[in-house]
Amino acid sequence: MKCARCLLQLQGLWLQGLRLQGLQLQGLRLQGLQLQGLQLQGLQGQSARSAAQRGALLQSSSQPHMLRNTQHQVIRRFHRSPINDKNQPIPAEFIDEDDNKKDKSLVIHDDLFEQVARETKTKATFNKVVEVFIKQDVRRRGHVEFIYAALQKMPEFGVERDLAVYNKLLDVFPKEVFVPRNFIQIMFNHYPRQQECGVQLLEQMEGYGIMPDVDTKVLLIQIFGVKGHPVRKYQRILYWFPKFKHTNPYPIPKNLPEDPVDLARFSLARIADDRDAKVTVYQLPCTDITESGEEITLPHVVGIQSPSQMELLAQHNPSRPVFVEGPFPLWLRDKCVYYYVLRADPVPPEEKVEEPYDPERSLAYPLQLDLDLDRDLGDEESFDVEDLDEGAVFAMCMTSQGDQAVLNQWVSGLQQNNPILGQVPTLFRLEQGPRELQGAHKTKSDHQHRPDPQTQREEEEDEVSVEEEPRRSQEMKQ
Amino acid sequence: MSLPKLARLPSARLLTSVLPHHQLLLPPLSPLTIPCRTKIQRDYRRPGQPIENKYPLNFNFSKGIEGIKKHFTLMKDEFFGRWVGPEGKPLIEHILEQNLVIWEFRGPESLEQWTVSSDQEIGGQSEAHLKMGRNDNTCFLHGKLSSTIPRDGETRYSGYCNMRSKTPKASFDRKKHYDWSSFNTLHLRVRGDGRPWMINIATETYFSHQKDDIYNYFLYTRGGPYWQEVKIPFSKFFLSHRGRIQDSQHAIWLDKVNTIGFTLGDKADGHFQLEVDFVAVSKDYAHTEEFAYEMYERNPKRERIE
Repeated sequence: MKCARCLLQLQGLWLQGLRLQGLQLQGLRLQGLQLQGLQLQGLQGQSARSAAQRGALLQSSSQPHMLRNTQHQVIRRFHRSPINDKNQPIPAEFIDEDDNKKDKSLVIHDDLFEQVARETKTKATFNKVVEVFIKQDVRRRGHVEFIYAALQKMPEFGVERDLAVYNKLLDVFPKEVFVPRNFIQIMFNHYPRQQECGVQLLEQMEGYGIMPDVDTKVLLIQIFGVKGHPVRKYQRILYWFPKFKHTNPYPIPKNLPEDPVDLARFSLARIADDRDAKVTVYQLPCTDITESGEEITLPHVVGIQSPSQMELLAQHNPSRPVFVEGPFPLWLRDKCVYYYVLRADPVPPEEKVEEPYDPERSLAYPLQLDLDLDRDLGDEESFDVEDLDEGAVFAMCMTSQGDQAVLNQWVSGLQQNNPILGQVPTLFRLEQGPRELQGAHKTKSDHQHRPDPQTQREEEEDEVSVEEEPRRSQEMKQ
Repeated sequence: MSLPKLARLPSARLLTSVLPHHQLLLPPLSPLTIPCRTKIQRDYRRPGQPIENKYPLNFNFSKGIEGIKKHFTLMKDEFFGRWVGPEGKPLIEHILEQNLVIWEFRGPESLEQWTVSSDQEIGGQSEAHLKMGRNDNTCFLHGKLSSTIPRDGETRYSGYCNMRSKTPKASFDRKKHYDWSSFNTLHLRVRGDGRPWMINIATETYFSHQKDDIYNYFLYTRGGPYWQEVKIPFSKFFLSHRGRIQDSQHAIWLDKVNTIGFTLGDKADGHFQLEVDFVAVSKDYAHTEEFAYEMYERNPKRERIE
């Protein structure tokens, strides 16, 4: 039928069908999950003809004839070329008030984001750029490149962990066009570029650990259908993320404290591995102005010590020195903090004293049995490995400025609870940069064998090159 | 399926967040010029780079003599070990043993069994070094991660480092496997700096497309001066191929384990360190789980709603 009247009728039906679909889509997104995914697919799988039929039925209830549907998309004439659209007046809402984004020339999609560089890069401006793109063209030409560019620019705008922004980006895809309609299309990777783009978007979400939403699922099904790669990837994310969410035995909260003292408290409690350990703040960070008008910033000094560490320190032989070692790194997600350790070198086997178990420590059962029982080979529960003998750790601390004066402060603070520190020589083994957790290097082990009074007498001028520096215990004695 | 990211942290993402579509540290992709029957283990060759031709070989007399001595000693041990029992241990030990230390780092020669690699193989800028730790009693893996992507147009992610054990070798460089079928837990004593690592176990496979099948699980370090004992049952290891977690999962087969490795790729640029005291396997009678993940059908038949 090629008469003009028939063509006009077809046009009318087509427009109403599109409007109807627009209404349906709008309804879906606003009402969320009123329609199940399957039903949705069923509805959208229908061709424009059947939609037009329903459009005819709903004609009475529909709104007066408009050139655009509720999504504010300009409906192009069915059998005319777009060139003729120049004759039509452009509705007012399509004229961009923002001069920055109005650009009639050929725009590379990166440029849209770059133009915003003049203003502040926030989530609002990012959303605005996406909206501009959506409004620009009903066919969304170049949406794949735009989405790739947007994914790349997200960290600059600070929205890479925002699920709503990802959903908005997914909205850029034209709906229903890429949904395969028969098994051959499903088999042959229907619209592979767009599917790859969708998968990349989900992969970036996954990389930042963002759990997708039900909105994401609905969008993905609208765009790609249930049989495509993006929905499959979404299903995988939904399967594996919850399985691995709580696998960390030492979890780190999502928002770490900003205050350095609180951060030090949290990380010291983490590395102490003892619930009875107590955190003490020896000095809060503050800025002092001396008489000469200089500003001195005092760093924070936060220390931790547990009762078992205090016991060990009390049993320490006063003639052997203790060492302040550091700084050692501790990573909390992507933030590295440094801590210092007060420890002693391992006791040589001849000096080890095995204290007998105090029978009154446990009245329920004996701690030591003198029976001559042998364990079967199948019950051997220890590993055939020699135990590492590393020196005992007595306390840990964290401070922003790890020089000897500050650490002296810490040790003198420790001395209040551990009086033995007044008699024990304290040596400092500090390094400029981050240090390895291992203690004694080969060279340092030589210092151990030096007699102790000599270490106290030694001044820094003798050992300029060596990091060990004796602490002036005389000043600290109370 | 890609592995979701750690810590905030879903899981398996660690590997793919970091791996490009190339695979790191593989037993070598056999080049076309050499027949497929080859069992020579080479270093990793980046796809696209020319194969280094070692032939004609340089003959070194003293090395040859050492090699002969070594291989014949191994062969002699194997031959006489059979009379003692399976794998050179008495049968009763082999059946009943509950704890077996596979790798312990006591002395610099223990480092020879491990290979360290980083993303410098694909053009990245991370570094990784392995050395003996304190008093030659532990191994110390340290280095620097950098997630700048190499600009070759095809790599998407970067910033990883890896320590992998070498495949055990019998006499005359024949492949040997670890048989851990009587154990069910992996026991490690490590001291890290708070970073999350991933443990990879590679088993012997039959088909060529299974070559990059690795079983993974996470190793979360606490950080701090104290040692950390980590016990991971083998039922928790999930299957991944080339860094992507697979849809069809199954429990790891422990009778032919080839290598174990530790990978770090947690997108946090900076220095890292990990100290390992020993790696052991043990049998935990209290652990009865066979496999931790469901083995669902991938495309179940659904009722079509008309």
